[in-house]
Amino acid sequence: MDHLQQELLKLICATCNLHDVDQGSIGPDDPLIGPDSPLGTDSLDALEIAVTVQKEYGVRMDSENTSRVVLQSLAHLANYIKKNR
Amino acid sequence: MLDFPHKQSAHCESGVAANLLTHRGINISEAMAFGIGVGLFFGYFPFVRINGMPLVTYRAAAGHILRQLIAIPGVQMYQKKFRNQDEAMAELDRALAASIPVGLQTGVFWLPYFPKALRFHFNAHNLVVYGKEGNEYLISDPVFPKPVRCQADDLARARFASGALAPKGKMYYLTQVPEKLERRPLIARGVRSVSKSMLASPFPLIGVRGIRFLAKRLAKWPQRLGRERADLHLGHVVRMQEEIGTGGGGFRFMYAAFLQESAEVMQERRLHDCAASLTGAGDTWREFAAMAARICKDRALPDDSYASMAACINRGAAMEEKVFTELQQWAKQHP
Repeated sequence: MDHLQQELLKLICATCNLHDVDQGSIGPDDPLIGPDSPLGTDSLDALEIAVTVQKEYGVRMDSENTSRVVLQSLAHLANYIKKNR
Repeated sequence: MLDFPHKQSAHCESGVAANLLTHRGINISEAMAFGIGVGLFFGYFPFVRINGMPLVTYRAAAGHILRQLIAIPGVQMYQKKFRNQDEAMAELDRALAASIPVGLQTGVFWLPYFPKALRFHFNAHNLVVYGKEGNEYLISDPVFPKPVRCQADDLARARFASGALAPKGKMYYLTQVPEKLERRPLIARGVRSVSKSMLASPFPLIGVRGIRFLAKRLAKWPQRLGRERADLHLGHVVRMQEEIGTGGGGFRFMYAAFLQESAEVMQERRLHDCAASLTGAGDTWREFAAMAARICKDRALPDDSYASMAACINRGAAMEEKVFTELQQWAKQHP
């Protein structure tokens, strides 16, 4: 995992109060949201993540579909931020 | 194989409309299709219940954008619903054999190419079928970055999903388009129509009045419904905002993109300024949604409360009122 991906994982865990998640076990391509996510996050968490990312990095996810695509994994999210920052 | 211009979009109906028109030589963005298709709306209908929860909608009813687009002079569309599944699939095959890309209304839950986490019971999902190989259909589903494939049985099931907004096999395709789309009058018409519904609806549940009505009701939910049920209502409103068809924030951003594009077409600085203001309103909707999510998830910040959310919605209402008043005045000068 690169530096930005690690930073994002910390931010997501802090935003969603995921204190008992073993961050070392999360991979860059693991699903971020939904029943298959090791974080156990859902669409309401996704919303908060989208807003927090906008605040912290100044990158807006313009629509539901964009956020669905971007929040597929840490790798997708990090790439989106790098491209749009 | 038909060469279909697949483009990922934020909202399925405007995405399909834009892709179908582009295929016929009318190069149009999704935002422009959404704007001239009068896609933006707000309605809060507490007496209409979905799974026991009040209906709140942030966009025009399903099918409205396509109806507006086929009302454009020179545009004609063939549309049909079916009772018989075999007949519906046979007619789809005949259109494909004639190299016609076909729009379909489907139920998301039955489309296996959707990841499980994204499947939900929504029966007004639009997509375009543009080919068939063996028993597989080639699909331009605007939600996805690339075209997808779907087995015939699965597609038939999605076309005949039951429940609210049942698609009944609905298919549609363009039969005629004008040589050139004159956008200026369509932009003015679209802006006029949305401004009217947002500002001048006689019903207090629609437009800016509806947004304020939602804020007023929401502030009282904990007293009226008890904390647990209030949180359920809140979760529902936010899910309707952000999940069912792009969401309030998302639609405001898309309309802002339409205004931005229109500012270039019309050479109008005012539209550019309105786009920026509407983006601000979209951010306010997102701010409300994030606060609601924190409350639903029991991780509220010290300033989060139902009263703060109501204040946030009222701020958004004031911003939208200002934008649409400006747009209404602009539209009056462009009959």
